[in-house]
Amino acid sequence: MGITWMELLYILRDSFLGGPGLFIAAVNLLYMAGLWRILEKSDLRGWWALIPCAKVYQLSRCAGREPEGRVASLANFGCLVLNALSYLVIDNSTGFYICLVLILTLRLIAFLYELQIYGGLIEVYGVRRRWMWLWASAYTSWIPALLWGWKKEYQPAWKVEDMRREMEAMASTGTAAVMDTGLTVNLRERSVKEFFQKRILLWDIHMYIPQGHMVLLLGGSGAGKTTFVNAVNGYEKANAEVILNGSNMYTQYKRMQYETGFVPQQELMRNKDTVYYTLADAAKLRLPKDVPAEVRKKRVEEVMDIFGLTPVKSSLVQKLSGGQKKRLSIAMELISNPSLFILDEPDSGLDGVMARELMQQLRSVADTGKIVIVITHTPDRVIEYFDDVIVLAKDSARTGRLAFYGSIQEARSFFGCERMEEIIKQVNREEEGGAGRADEFIAKYVEVQHA
Amino acid sequence: MPEKNRNRLLRGLRVRYRGRQSQIWIYLGKMLRMFLYQNDWKVLPMAAMVAGLVGLVIRRRFCYHMEGTMMSALAIACVCLWNGCFNSIQVICRERDVIKREHRSGMHISSYIASHMIYQALLCILQTGIILYVFELVGVKYPKTGLFSRFFVVDFFISLFLITYAADMMSLWISSLCHTTTAAMTVMPVILIIQLVFSGGMMSLPEQVQPVTEAVISNYGLKVIAAQADYNSQPLASAWNTVERMKNNEIKGSVTIGQILDYLSDPDNPEAGEIRGLTVSEGGVLTQKLTVGDLVDLINADPASGELRDQTIKIDTTVGNVINVLGEQDVRHYVEEQAKATAQEKDYEHSRANVGSCWFSLVLFVLLFAALSTVTLEFIDYDKR
Repeated sequence: MGITWMELLYILRDSFLGGPGLFIAAVNLLYMAGLWRILEKSDLRGWWALIPCAKVYQLSRCAGREPEGRVASLANFGCLVLNALSYLVIDNSTGFYICLVLILTLRLIAFLYELQIYGGLIEVYGVRRRWMWLWASAYTSWIPALLWGWKKEYQPAWKVEDMRREMEAMASTGTAAVMDTGLTVNLRERSVKEFFQKRILLWDIHMYIPQGHMVLLLGGSGAGKTTFVNAVNGYEKANAEVILNGSNMYTQYKRMQYETGFVPQQELMRNKDTVYYTLADAAKLRLPKDVPAEVRKKRVEEVMDIFGLTPVKSSLVQKLSGGQKKRLSIAMELISNPSLFILDEPDSGLDGVMARELMQQLRSVADTGKIVIVITHTPDRVIEYFDDVIVLAKDSARTGRLAFYGSIQEARSFFGCERMEEIIKQVNREEEGGAGRADEFIAKYVEVQHA
Repeated sequence: MPEKNRNRLLRGLRVRYRGRQSQIWIYLGKMLRMFLYQNDWKVLPMAAMVAGLVGLVIRRRFCYHMEGTMMSALAIACVCLWNGCFNSIQVICRERDVIKREHRSGMHISSYIASHMIYQALLCILQTGIILYVFELVGVKYPKTGLFSRFFVVDFFISLFLITYAADMMSLWISSLCHTTTAAMTVMPVILIIQLVFSGGMMSLPEQVQPVTEAVISNYGLKVIAAQADYNSQPLASAWNTVERMKNNEIKGSVTIGQILDYLSDPDNPEAGEIRGLTVSEGGVLTQKLTVGDLVDLINADPASGELRDQTIKIDTTVGNVINVLGEQDVRHYVEEQAKATAQEKDYEHSRANVGSCWFSLVLFVLLFAALSTVTLEFIDYDKR
């Protein structure tokens, strides 16, 4: 089994020009010429249009459909590899037909994802959906590619590379002091790699939260609230230093995971287990091994009493009301008496009375010397229970930044708003119905910190 | 205090939490409760129903003849695969978010998988027991003694249990790979089809895909059942059925007696040797039982046979008549023995070594898939929210 120079040429021809024949080559060249300009219009490098597989991904970035682009380019890559492989195996052999079937399957997958990318592109260019017919066919896609690429009247609604590091100049540069008690967060950067590209989710967040404080975490959708709490409790590690009562959350994670309690947004429990066994198993997992069974049982009953779950202790979790499920979810974390307690929207789906009751219970937990951080979208009905507020906002580069950290009173004067929901509105982007003043407040807070 | 010193100090004072071993029992308890509350017990009556249907089909075939045994072995292996797959295909993906939460609170993935292994093993034992009991009820007959124990049913139980358990662990792995129950249920039919096609029992596969057959559970399941049922020593019914269907076919032609005698006298011709061994029925001119060989030797020894040798015999008869002349039982025995020899497979050899190696392979599958499930789930923290 070997490959001749001729076969190598065929493979390169299929990869770069789409297949045999002058017509196909011409169509592909025209498509690439159009694509080059489309990429440039979105502030991407035009030569990507010449690279097989990668060009689909780059086009998906223009269309705001990166996940689809990843799948399509991987499927296209698979097709290229299999196509090359089909030259290596004997014609009409089983291997040859396996290659053909796989190529057909991958090509179908790529085609379906490419349709979604073209759909996104149509939205970005604000043109009619009927353009899809031209994009969908390999023989006609060069027409919209050339027109949209080279004619000035076709312009994308937004560009991929936005005004990036203008905000980087506004770094706080400072770090929060590390104390023996309380929580110190010095988060330099939290980023993810998506298809060889780095995306910064959070940047430059520094704070110190004293023990016994109940902190409200505010921010619009996508501001990075959950990412922030996941970085703080060590679930998703960031380029950061998080110190809780003198211990590093990252380097001593195995021990510290028992010192933190995180209540997720959804009630993640087994619906077909009873309330008592759910808590009893949580106690077995989270309490130290040498805690006697009697003490453990007592702790379970104590937590059930605190959260009013004793009357339903034999019920299946699925039979509980929304509020009871929330309380059970919180009780599961509280059972090990953690020093840091983080709750992601614990009051969602609860009415005002129940939400206040819940916050009251959390306040009493904070009063025992714990740090309680709560994310909520309806802060004003329970604001009196909180000591401090953290405001996260997306800057113009769509990175989550710290717009404020301080007491509730300071926050009111900093933002010039009485209500917390108004603060969210101030920092939210205009397209989200906000005032779009995030950059302004981020810069202002950096100045305050420098001062 | 520098962090290094603090860590050293804390190591001495370290609080110990539950280790892997004791977590196994916590989760096993949880699973047993799920068995009752989440209706996981449904797999038991389902196993009885499937076994009943298959049992009715195979009861007059299994261990009767090669084709019946092969078909039954495939059907039984499929029942085991089906049961195993359905036991665990959803168990991890349906509570993936819960596992993620618990993993972050100190749960060890290896303990979780180990508890699943114990729980699923119990389920598989129950299902295998049910299958064998149902087979007994519907009248499936087995050989009396097994290769390893005095009772065939004990050996057979081990085989069916291992096939079910290996399939169960494979599905557990799929369940740990898939993020939703919908995805898992979409993948499962594909896996079952692969198992069916590459089992080797449905059709002969090209040489290139042989390595694939070595990597599927059904192949070992089929081998071990066929080997235990002693496939190789059973008659090949289809060969005789074909001859029977040809009974009315006409045979026309002519041959001299000399040609026949020379053919039957050739010592180098094994086929002729076998025909010489056939007994010619008494009656007519024959007053005693003779073999064809005796008859040929008698004629050859007779000096008057020279004229006889030149005589032409015009043949105008049917296959049925020839069979009657030769004796139906003898012909049938001859045909079945000849055909059996060509249909015998080394893979289905009725030996301890063969069955033992299949059991060993199935155990390896169990361990491999359990390890894969553990490794896969260790990455659960990287799940997207």
